[in-house]
Amino acid sequence: MIDVKNLTKDFHNTKVLCGITEHIEKGEKVVIIGPSGSGKSTFLRCLNLMEQPTGGEIFFDGKEITHLHDKEINEVRMRMGMVFQHFNLFPHLTIQQNITLAPVKLKRMDAAAADKKAKELLERVGLPDKAKAYPSQLSGGQKQRIAIARALAMNPEVMLFDEPTSALDPEMVGEVLQLMKQLADDGMTMIVVTHEMGFAKEVASRVMFMADGGVVEQNNPKEFFRSPKNPRLREFLSKVL
Amino acid sequence: MGFADSFRQNFIEADRWSYLWNGLCTTLLITFFAVILGLILGFLVAIIRSTYLRTHKLLIPDLICRLYLTVIRGTPVVVQLLIIYFVIFATVPVSKTFVAVVAFGINSGAYVAEIVRGGIMSIDVGQLEAGRSLGLNYTQTMRYIILPQAFKNVLPALANECIVLLKETSVAGYIAIEDLTKGGDIIRSQTFSAFLPLLAVAAIYLFMVVILTKLVGILERRLAANDRR
Repeated sequence: MIDVKNLTKDFHNTKVLCGITEHIEKGEKVVIIGPSGSGKSTFLRCLNLMEQPTGGEIFFDGKEITHLHDKEINEVRMRMGMVFQHFNLFPHLTIQQNITLAPVKLKRMDAAAADKKAKELLERVGLPDKAKAYPSQLSGGQKQRIAIARALAMNPEVMLFDEPTSALDPEMVGEVLQLMKQLADDGMTMIVVTHEMGFAKEVASRVMFMADGGVVEQNNPKEFFRSPKNPRLREFLSKVL
Repeated sequence: MGFADSFRQNFIEADRWSYLWNGLCTTLLITFFAVILGLILGFLVAIIRSTYLRTHKLLIPDLICRLYLTVIRGTPVVVQLLIIYFVIFATVPVSKTFVAVVAFGINSGAYVAEIVRGGIMSIDVGQLEAGRSLGLNYTQTMRYIILPQAFKNVLPALANECIVLLKETSVAGYIAIEDLTKGGDIIRSQTFSAFLPLLAVAAIYLFMVVILTKLVGILERRLAANDRR
């Protein structure tokens, strides 16, 4: 589904990604872990072109996407949902409007269909009574669940999660991970940058360890956590587990 | 001469109050349309400037905007008014009021632009990213996500800019427009008494500014209450 070939990204002459080649299948749940500054968020943000790669190629469903026009980039983004560390809900809109804005303005649904979809999504994320509320009235965990619902409203084929629980109070991490697990069980293709090792063990089909702008080691979660081979990974795991 | 006589002479005789009344109407007319022109220009410039700052697109329009801001904010409004009247519209037969609206509108636009640009740049970049990640293009993200929030944040500052503009139009007399200030001055030149006519002019400005400031205060409290919901 997503093919990455020799992807590089520089920020002001600093190499952040040094030639990543990866293949992600439909239905996979890839969890990316690694120390801060390892390039994991940048890698994720390159996939939907929130960052323009410096070099290399990204194929999405067989189509190369790093040299598209703005209009085609927007079409790619409509098919890839993204969830951010800081939720980035639209504070001036109600929860309902947060969810329906994109599908309606992008003419994917008419207003009535979008409202119906929003209602379904709010049920799904367990917040059916918040449609008329504003983001500032919600807790962090609730905000992130709404952010997930907002991304799902576009019926994406892939969901990208950029440290979705890092800004949450500890007691709210569980509800967001629970929802993400549900999403995984429903068969969504997911790429998740996170520090939640429990989630990686339980939900991932593949865990990737990134350091210094490259993928250093990857494996299924069982092997990955039981017998890490790379010394950097061993050191990292000894610190976080 | 007592106060009553002086009052009668300055305002009642020969219907001199009408200089103030007509002048006030002119002042309000110029202010109203200059505010509208200033808002349109200001938003346009602010959008171009912030687009350039965030995306490095629109370099040439941005350069033009920066030149506009530098020139307008770097020269006195009276000089701008005179240049627009005696140079730019020298050979074009247009009404003086129209010239004043253009001059004050262009002047106000520069200040509105900087206020609005500050408002746009103060919106977290995550809002732009969230909009773009959903597939909205830059224009749609601006229109539905960034500008509504920025506008709300700068509304009090914009209202204050309107109040400033109301007072700044008092130099319209330089191109012989009979605005409120000029109206008072005409009475002074007819009655040879400066005190009452000029005091009346000042009182009318002060009254309008106090009322408008009160309205801005109510507006600010409403917006703050909205934020707490």
